[in-house]
Amino acid sequence: MSTFSIIVDKDLEDLIPSFLSNRTKDIITMKEALETRNFEQIRIIGHSMKGFGSGYGFDYVSDAGKILEVAAKESNAVVIQETILKLEDYFANIKISFE
Amino acid sequence: MRKILIVDDSIESSQLLKRILMKRGYPNIILSHSAEDAFNILHANDSISDIDLVLLDIVMPGMDGIEACIKIKQDVKLRDIPIIMVTGMDKSSVLEQAFRAGAMDYIKKPYDILELHARVRNALNLKREMDKRKARELELLEVTEELKALNTVLEQLSNIDGLTGVANRRSFDTYLQSEWDRACRTGDHLSIILFDIDKFKLYNDTYGHQEGDDCLKRIAQICKTAIKRSNDLVARYGGEEFAVVLPNTELQGALNIAEIIRIEIENQKIPHESSPVENYVTISAGVATACPKKGNITLEQLVNIADQGLYFCKRNGRNQVRSIQPN
Repeated sequence: MSTFSIIVDKDLEDLIPSFLSNRTKDIITMKEALETRNFEQIRIIGHSMKGFGSGYGFDYVSDAGKILEVAAKESNAVVIQETILKLEDYFANIKISFE
Repeated sequence: MRKILIVDDSIESSQLLKRILMKRGYPNIILSHSAEDAFNILHANDSISDIDLVLLDIVMPGMDGIEACIKIKQDVKLRDIPIIMVTGMDKSSVLEQAFRAGAMDYIKKPYDILELHARVRNALNLKREMDKRKARELELLEVTEELKALNTVLEQLSNIDGLTGVANRRSFDTYLQSEWDRACRTGDHLSIILFDIDKFKLYNDTYGHQEGDDCLKRIAQICKTAIKRSNDLVARYGGEEFAVVLPNTELQGALNIAEIIRIEIENQKIPHESSPVENYVTISAGVATACPKKGNITLEQLVNIADQGLYFCKRNGRNQVRSIQPN
């Protein structure tokens, strides 16, 4: 299992705990939305993640957000499922340092 | 201190933007997570909003950024606040919509910090210049108002006889001409009265010029009180001679008013012991009337006829009213 090293701006350090817990909530929400095929909700979450992820230093969050947004527009449940799993794996294996 | 309002439903996005801007020297930042809440903040002051820049996310639940931008630009109190749209969308049609709505610029998510800073700085510089311009305009407006008020006072002063407070000769000439022109259009009659204080030179010789001036003031006031209509004008015609312009008045009406003035002055019994007429101040008045539209008389002739009436009185014992026109 690989570890993802994340470098976060020191000025954002106090925001990171809530950033992480909100992403956990996003993953839960998206899973539920996928079950009910609520692609619009997934699209909105993906769009948001795309916008702010790399700003906090979490480039993959932006990349995954972009994939989720596109997949949700296409109602592509397979890609969404796959990306959610990747995101879970990502957050389970990140190592954050502040600079 | 420049104040920036960030409107974004995503807490992470708005917090991030806030931190970036604070680090770049913009400490006065307010966060809002919906367009509706943003309007409460923008309208917090009754007067002009103190927000200098709005960073507005396009995609938001409820009212979106485009709609909010249109609403801000339609609001007189808010429309001068520059708006930068913040968007994660790449579509040019969305940006086109944003510019059409009145946005001055846009920033793409994820943020490029240098670009973000440059765009925010430009927008705030623009706002600063607009504020300066508005302050100058306001100042100019105040000075213009002051000048206008002063001009009104000057105009009034230039039309008033300094001693008696009634209209001066210049004002009489202007007013008579304008009423003459009006009567030419309407077909109304126009009358004038010219009157002189009888033997006023003797009054001055007897009582001195100070008393003479006081007498002129009293006569002017009596005359002013005697005429009732707002468009009748009493003027000092020169020396001890006064004139009254009576628009829309026929000869008999003008003779009546002249007689009222004469009697009012007589009733005051202002002592004039050296007068051969009475032992108090009296006047002699000549009256003239014209119907200018008929064109059988000129303005100069009208004045001349009143003057001849006045001289008729003088030759005929004074303290009387006359018109040489047939009644």
